[in-house]
Amino acid sequence: MWNWDYAIKIFPEIFAALKITVTATFVGFALAMLLGLVLAISRRSSVKTVAYGSKGLIEFIRNTPLLVQLYFIFYVLPEVGIYLSPLSAGIIGLGIHYSTYLSEVYRSGIEAVPQGQWEAAKALNFSPWQVWSKIIIPQGLPPVIPVLGNYLITMFKETPLLSAITLVEILQTAKIIGSHSFRYLEAFTIVGILFLILSYPSSVMVRRLEMRMNKSLR
Amino acid sequence: MSTPLKLVKNLSDEENNYQDISKKKQKQPMVCYDKISKSYGDLQVLKKIDFDIAPGEKVALIGPSGSGKTTLARLLMTLEEPTSGTIKVDGELLWHQKIKGKKVKANEKHLQKIRGKIGMVFQHFNLFPHMTILDNVAAAPIHVAGIPRAEAEEQAISILEKVGLSDKFNAYPSQLSGGQKQRVAIARALVMRPQIMLFDEPTSALDPELVGEVLGVIKDIAQEGEMAMLLITHEMDFAKDVADRVAFFDEGRIVEEGKPEELFYNPRSTRLQDLLSRFRGR
Ligand SMILES: Nc1ncnc2c1ncn2[C@@H]1O[C@H](COP(=O)(O)OP(=O)(O)OP(=O)(O)O)[C@@H](O)[C@H]1O
Ligand SMILES: [Mg+2]
Repeated sequence: MWNWDYAIKIFPEIFAALKITVTATFVGFALAMLLGLVLAISRRSSVKTVAYGSKGLIEFIRNTPLLVQLYFIFYVLPEVGIYLSPLSAGIIGLGIHYSTYLSEVYRSGIEAVPQGQWEAAKALNFSPWQVWSKIIIPQGLPPVIPVLGNYLITMFKETPLLSAITLVEILQTAKIIGSHSFRYLEAFTIVGILFLILSYPSSVMVRRLEMRMNKSLR
Repeated sequence: MSTPLKLVKNLSDEENNYQDISKKKQKQPMVCYDKISKSYGDLQVLKKIDFDIAPGEKVALIGPSGSGKTTLARLLMTLEEPTSGTIKVDGELLWHQKIKGKKVKANEKHLQKIRGKIGMVFQHFNLFPHMTILDNVAAAPIHVAGIPRAEAEEQAISILEKVGLSDKFNAYPSQLSGGQKQRVAIARALVMRPQIMLFDEPTSALDPELVGEVLGVIKDIAQEGEMAMLLITHEMDFAKDVADRVAFFDEGRIVEEGKPEELFYNPRSTRLQDLLSRFRGR
């Protein structure tokens, strides 16, 4: 059943499509980190409408499927004149969706910073922005880096969803190759193995990082 | 029966006020609490407190646990907002500002301006654990005062030397003893040259053998003179040595205040007598 010659022949094309998948992952994740931080900070705003507004937004996005959000961005936005390429739409969709998860991760990091740190910073007359950037984030972020890493891996594995908005990423490439030759086994197997090769070492690294940080905290 | 008595008392109060006002012309109080109340839900922690601190004056605040001493300091440091009343710092309202003649809630900019005159040392030090000792002290000069790093570090070094920590610049807070941590915290507040420093039980989280070194540093600072100090403490001997005035706090009120000798050797209220005998008993 398995044909090595065929597998070797199609491999370069599938491997090349990995570039799109990796781009969508990293750019999407960078966007999610940024938006997530904004959401986490505005959730703690003393302005009640900002705090409740961002909490509502987080709940709304978290509780609707990513696929629906992707469809909205790619198929509905053009109706109001906003046209996005499949890649941009995918990055924005992933970024927004994952920002809500990451905002919760940041939140747990922020809440672990003792109240006394806020007070000392305020007593030294740091501006609210400086309290965040010099005192709270530098202390609240490092402990949650492993959790962020896990989300990065999860997001990477979810990128095939972007084929639903016509992005020709790795899975879509494999599907196209398969439909030309009516051989799917090799193409999909290669996709699975590429995901495995990238995800597994990453999650081992994250676990190591986690263990090392737990040790240094003790 | 009590009414006439009260009247007489009020009259004499007013006379005092007259003298006060003429004195105030020359010497405006550094801090002026005016009918300050603070409640947490149903619990009234401060009950219409009137309380002044003169420029350069060292005031010790003593009183039983839960009487509201910390709260009084936290209101001044803007860590907590009063429920009613006003606080003036150096003649300016702290929690309010006048815009077009109307008294409104102070904005962040106003708070920052006044906060710059105040420094605070906390019971649990609250050093920044992710920064070296030097950075802990230099951070505010750099980020708040906008002083160039090299100059800020120079200032930090000279103040760390003053509190006896010249060999710890590159250590992290977790590597220090409690007494050393608190001395860094003092240096960190001092480097911003506040006009008033608040010390909230600076030694009560310390092992007994480390208390002396911290009190020594505070005493040295007090002797330099120009900075007003509010010292919340259970160290009665220290209060006696350092304070120009002692205020005894109980259940959200100042029950008694006066010179240390008067208060410690001649306590009028039974509550203060109780408190003092408990400390002597130790
Ligand atoms: N954030 C808060 N919420 C509710 N109650 C509070 C809060 N902060 C303080 N209190 C209460 O206010 C009262 C006065 O507290 P405060 O810390 O000012 O007392 P204190 O005189 O400093 O006591 P201690 O000697 O124990 O430090 C206490 O009963 C305390 O439980
Ligand atoms: Mg207290």
